[in-house]
Amino acid sequence: MSSFAYAVPKTKDEALALLNELGPGGRVVAGCTNILPDIRAKKITACTLVDISRLAELKGINVRGEKVTIGSLTTINELLHSEIVANHGQVLWQAGQRFADPLVRNRATIGGNLANASPAADGVVPLLALDARVMVASLAGEREIPVDAFFTGPGKSVLQPNELITGVSFAKTTTMKSAFIKFGLRKAMAISLASIGLVVGLKGDKVDQVRIALGALAPTPLRARQTESYLAGNTLTPAVVARAQEIVRTEVKPISDVRASQEYRLHLTGVLLKRAFEAALA
Amino acid sequence: MELQKEITITVQVNGRPVTAVVAPEESLLEFVRNRAGVTDVKCGCNKGDCGTCTLVLEGQPVKSCLVLAAQANNKEVWTVRGMAADPLMQALQESFATHGAVQCGFCTPGMLVAARSFLAHHQQPDREAIKEALSGNLCRCTGYKKIVDAVAAVAASQASARD
Repeated sequence: MSSFAYAVPKTKDEALALLNELGPGGRVVAGCTNILPDIRAKKITACTLVDISRLAELKGINVRGEKVTIGSLTTINELLHSEIVANHGQVLWQAGQRFADPLVRNRATIGGNLANASPAADGVVPLLALDARVMVASLAGEREIPVDAFFTGPGKSVLQPNELITGVSFAKTTTMKSAFIKFGLRKAMAISLASIGLVVGLKGDKVDQVRIALGALAPTPLRARQTESYLAGNTLTPAVVARAQEIVRTEVKPISDVRASQEYRLHLTGVLLKRAFEAALA
Repeated sequence: MELQKEITITVQVNGRPVTAVVAPEESLLEFVRNRAGVTDVKCGCNKGDCGTCTLVLEGQPVKSCLVLAAQANNKEVWTVRGMAADPLMQALQESFATHGAVQCGFCTPGMLVAARSFLAHHQQPDREAIKEALSGNLCRCTGYKKIVDAVAAVAASQASARD
């Protein structure tokens, strides 16, 4: 007999009641693109799989005023087909094109990419650059967590076992420039060695607003706050960009692993920052 | 709410309803090969990297090793075998044969399904777009050039048929 059990709630409330009852013994599954390989690798050996993939209330992309809201069950492919995302959350659309491969994008969801909490998550880095908020529900009610405060370490987040990610929201970046660059060992199905999401707004030739998000360069996806504050109000001359490259290298804490050495990742950090500005402002 | 250790599901496989009892963690790939006996879908890496298990689930190409069998309950899946009468699939199969795009053949069913889904939705794609569409499917014989040639030839003939 299997060490796993399966449940398929029909409504969000039913899912929340079940997660509350199961506690750490419950695992939410939707696209399954992370959890099935983890089960095969025996990283997960026993739990109740709570299948939320049929909950239509967690799907959809909406815009109200200046705010864009995306349901957690929205697939990466659905993001790529959304004019709202392409026009008002461009960095997320750009990252979607580099996410895994076209087949995986038909299954992988934005909520799952958050819940998996990989430091290299290609769906999360753009959300960080959008200064997005994660919407979470439990039987106790709803709460919103800034993406920047969501992750606590590799594979770890503040999400509690009784909580369900219901969506993400962010303010439109319609008039701002964006870029997402992923450095992987091949074009498709590559885990990022390093990645960057950039959202920048200019006033004249000066940087008005800038948000820089980095992936695979620290235990969690990371905002480069010091680099951002240095750049704000500055003109992007070669000297300013060079100084920003120096600062950003002090903000990351990369590791050496099978994909790249610490030194190489540190070098890439500066390179990606420069390339991201070039791409966004091209 | 019922926690199930054994789940009875019915999936339409190539137009035929298949009912079986599956384990919670059983994949759609295992269901299609072992319960439905549809073995043109291949098991390569079994962890989502290689694309040999690509099939169409509810109109979209997916890697069936990354789908729970239970998630396909009351849904429709199609594999190469089920598309034997489809003109686009036939054109791709002939093109693969004439371009020498099949070496060991293990990746071929997945490549064909991914290519068919792509061409059905994209008119006159360039080589880069074809490569991107097939980027989730690995060919360990590394015969990519001929595979892309074969798909590009069908794309070109589709375009000329429309002119």
